[in-house]
Amino acid sequence: MVRLITHNLLACHAKNCTQTKGFPLAFNDVRVETKEAEFNADFLKSFYERKIDWDALVGAAKQLGDTSLPLERPEMVDDDFLQLLHHVLLEIHVEEGEMICPNCKHVYKIRDGIPNMLLAEHEIG
Amino acid sequence: MSAKPVTLVSDTSSHENASQLEQEHVHDVYDHIAPHFSQTRYKPWPIVSAFLASIPSGWVGLDSGTGNGKYLPLPLDRPGESWTIGLDRSSNLLNFAKSAGGKSREVVLGDAMDCCWRSGAFDYAISIATIHHFSTPERRKWAIQALLRCLSPDHGRALIYVWATRQDELSKRSIPRASPPAHDELPYKVPRSIGKDVFVPWKLTPGAPRGDSKYHQNVNGKDEISSTASQQTRRTDFDRYYHMFDEGELRLLVKEAAADLGIGERAKANETLSGTAKSGTFLEFVQDDWERSNFYIELRLWTI
Ligand SMILES: [Zn+2]
Repeated sequence: MVRLITHNLLACHAKNCTQTKGFPLAFNDVRVETKEAEFNADFLKSFYERKIDWDALVGAAKQLGDTSLPLERPEMVDDDFLQLLHHVLLEIHVEEGEMICPNCKHVYKIRDGIPNMLLAEHEIG
Repeated sequence: MSAKPVTLVSDTSSHENASQLEQEHVHDVYDHIAPHFSQTRYKPWPIVSAFLASIPSGWVGLDSGTGNGKYLPLPLDRPGESWTIGLDRSSNLLNFAKSAGGKSREVVLGDAMDCCWRSGAFDYAISIATIHHFSTPERRKWAIQALLRCLSPDHGRALIYVWATRQDELSKRSIPRASPPAHDELPYKVPRSIGKDVFVPWKLTPGAPRGDSKYHQNVNGKDEISSTASQQTRRTDFDRYYHMFDEGELRLLVKEAAADLGIGERAKANETLSGTAKSGTFLEFVQDDWERSNFYIELRLWTI
């Protein structure tokens, strides 16, 4: 599945691109499904505080039609906020579509919920 | 693995290059045997389970070469407290991995030699029975570097398992003694003569489930139903390529992979005592051992 937790970590790795410029990948032409996931406050808090790229998450959620997150990264992490974060990060599944690199425009396809990050031999940096 | 005699890779000259050998004798094989393979690979290895059980709550990790995803649900007693994302080169195996343990898992189709992640994205990584499928020392080193690059430099932990020339006495496999084939790549510090390159047969018994060639995806994400693929759905015998590691070879490879990235080997405890350290990222070996026909290394990164 491509959920936004994975999207928040993926970066373009094509030749002549860099992991900083090639992030975040932009969703295009997607089919999305929502599935319930188990809520785990400890995991969400840790991921939010240590790993998350907030702007990338808000931007990607918007591309998938979800505008529930505040644009500014909240300082206060309460239960209501964690519930919002839980839904956006772990319950929206991109089943079909593509992700496009903002820098080199490389297209990574998503099929049956699996993103294809393979590069052809000549595209490997 | 079924207990079948091993034959040495004897004719690498017929393969245009290493990636073609791996395409034919690793990726295509796993795509075709995926359902059968998945039925026989459900038991986690204890040392891998123990490593995952030791991961703190809230960490996110990568299983590079996840196969059917048998490690993605671990640890079973703390579901959802840490998240392991699976990466594999076989889309047919990932179709099993994406629902491993009966729940939705995050899986990515990709090559273990490439790092398709923000650098330092993961708190931990495992590479179990994967790096031995790369057919040159350089490619095995790149696979280790891809792991190191996606780990958090200040606390990232990794566990790497590879197949060993030193086989378990209980293993019925017999290893022929002969010199490995000559490679003609760039000069490399790990001796060419180290380890052994072999083919290991996989036999699909009549009635065994087969990989659906319709699912076979190429790099462009298009369905690939080539004539060879449809012929192979009738095949029952497959040869998987392995590089069997010698004693000490994995450690040497990890050290060299790290050194190329500017990561030196240094134990954290000693440094804290001496207090003479220069700033940088360092690698510490936590475990380096052999178990049941495999060598494994656990390492961690740390920074000053
Ligand atoms: Zn790019």
